[in-house]
Amino acid sequence: MTTRNLYHSKPAQWAVYGLFFVIIALIPAFVSDGFLLNQFAVYGIYGMLALSISLCWGFGGILNLGQGIAFGLAAYGMAMTMQMQSQDPDSNPIPPFMLNNSLEHLPWFWQPFWSTGGGILLALVVPTLFYVVFGTLMFRARVSGPFFAIMSLAMLSAFATLILDMQPYTNGANGISPPSPLSIFGTDIDPYGPTAYWIVCGGLIAVTVGAKLLTQSKFGLVIQALRGDPERVRFLGYNVALYETCIYAISGFIAALAGCLWVMLIQYVSPAQLDTTFSIGMVIWAGIGGRLSLLGAILGAFLIQGGQSYLGDQFLATWLLVLGAFFIVVVRFLPKGLAGLLEKVLGALARQPGKHARSDLPHAISGAPAAGE
Amino acid sequence: MTSLDIAPFANALVLGLSIASIWLIAAIGLTIIYGTVGVINMAHGEFIMLGAYTSYALQSSLGLPFLLCLPASFAVVALVGLVIERGLIRYLYNRPLDTLLATWGVSLVLMQGVRLIFGSDPKYIAVPEIFQSNVEIGFASLSVFRLVVLAITALIVAATAWLFYRTRFGMQVRAVMQNKEMAASFGINADRVYMTTFAIGAGLAGVAGSLFGVLAIVLPTMGTAYVVQAFLVVVVGGGTLMGSVAAAGLTGELQSVFAFVTNDTFARFLLYVLIVVFLRFRPRGLFAVAKGRR
Repeated sequence: MTTRNLYHSKPAQWAVYGLFFVIIALIPAFVSDGFLLNQFAVYGIYGMLALSISLCWGFGGILNLGQGIAFGLAAYGMAMTMQMQSQDPDSNPIPPFMLNNSLEHLPWFWQPFWSTGGGILLALVVPTLFYVVFGTLMFRARVSGPFFAIMSLAMLSAFATLILDMQPYTNGANGISPPSPLSIFGTDIDPYGPTAYWIVCGGLIAVTVGAKLLTQSKFGLVIQALRGDPERVRFLGYNVALYETCIYAISGFIAALAGCLWVMLIQYVSPAQLDTTFSIGMVIWAGIGGRLSLLGAILGAFLIQGGQSYLGDQFLATWLLVLGAFFIVVVRFLPKGLAGLLEKVLGALARQPGKHARSDLPHAISGAPAAGE
Repeated sequence: MTSLDIAPFANALVLGLSIASIWLIAAIGLTIIYGTVGVINMAHGEFIMLGAYTSYALQSSLGLPFLLCLPASFAVVALVGLVIERGLIRYLYNRPLDTLLATWGVSLVLMQGVRLIFGSDPKYIAVPEIFQSNVEIGFASLSVFRLVVLAITALIVAATAWLFYRTRFGMQVRAVMQNKEMAASFGINADRVYMTTFAIGAGLAGVAGSLFGVLAIVLPTMGTAYVVQAFLVVVVGGGTLMGSVAAAGLTGELQSVFAFVTNDTFARFLLYVLIVVFLRFRPRGLFAVAKGRR
């Protein structure tokens, strides 16, 4: 590519990402208030969620409105693990809310959560497996984009009502609140301490680096190709359904990881995590930040959730109105989000010096970004 | 089997018919919009909600009788739909996923707007006394209002079918549905067809909302409950009127029967899973529109 747009240069991108990683890793050095650290860590979780949406939607072209399925199921799994950590097989084998619902024995699907490792594994694997099955069913049938989005929304709604309904087993609308923090290898992880923050931070960094490398790999190229025209990719001999299921499942795994870490921080889960508004909110974060940019999506989540916390309480009703209107404007005029705006600005600056920019035809016409961002 | 055993089951079947009519009337506006324009309108639930609030507002300020509120809701919400189509949707026709998201933004704005104007407390729509009683049909007992909903749904389906299959405008719509460019080259103003169809679809949602405002209470969030179900009817039906009727009938009855066997929420879960499996084998739905690759 003969473009000199800084936005597309790989070293520049990695430099910016590196800077971002350093900044978020250093936060605990400047912030000592535990509550604030916990708050920032939660933003990190939202960043992860936005990144998973960006991976699936921005790069894969698969709009997933039901990311809450992975997030919520994993959160419940983690909560169940943490709950069982505070139970004792001999003296106190059953969580109190079950006793309140007249259950005498621990239900069979709660049994595996006696083991911490097993519980966390299940919390990560089960949602991912669901995504694999659901994705296979949908993508093999070549269900189109909007229909897939609606079906994911329907499944989310179905799971939410199911969990809500199974009151004795899941404590219904009250949710599960494990009484003590997560304990790994004997030590408690204080949700308001730097350790918890760094675990989330590390998770975010690892996931971002992994996702970025993925998009720059051959797999990533095929994914972006099938976003543009699945038929053509099919004719080229690729098993499109397989690639789509893969990226969908990877995105689900990231969301599941986010769910586990979230419960570690908040020590609570309820059917609200499977709320449609929350899941669609993730799409809004990625949409406004820039779905084609992993960092853009993360920053979009920070921006919107931060804005909501800051402006939220007094202005909640008008905030949502403004957010909705802003989102409409972004979708209509800035389909690539704020990151796309940056791309345009940098592109304009690159052309200004009057050097003969050899025509960057592919960008100008198709509007698609160069491979790698 | 004694008649005592059959009665609750027959009741479930009749209730299923009522549920089907509710799903159908919620979905019919969406069917028209999706079938013609190809737009997934996430604000459809809010159109329903607007219809309910229109009826409420007309009743409380003008004292308009309920039956007149229905066409009034149609007109008002159709107008809102028109404005949204001209202002936003028109620019997003070739970007289906973006339309989905933009209309979600619209739904947020509408919901919050209504909340700011009317407040979050529930409102109630009054209906004539006669609609509030129950009626017995053989073994089954049903509220009169549900029968009214059934009747109005049937009326609307018939009117829509007449509009689309017996009028010149309907022919234009069907032409545009199959191939927009070809229709335009025959002199049909495709833009205007899209605009009118969107408005009609919105208006029908408004009528549904007026009815639902009686069945359930009027809240700013009432629309969200109907969106997913309406979409499922459209998806399963395939986007045609006949498809939506069949899909609504099938899913309504299945929901009622499942609820009879297990309970309401598990019935819904089962139904959704069934739909997912169904789509695996028939992704275009029951009666899909015959058209070329969009």
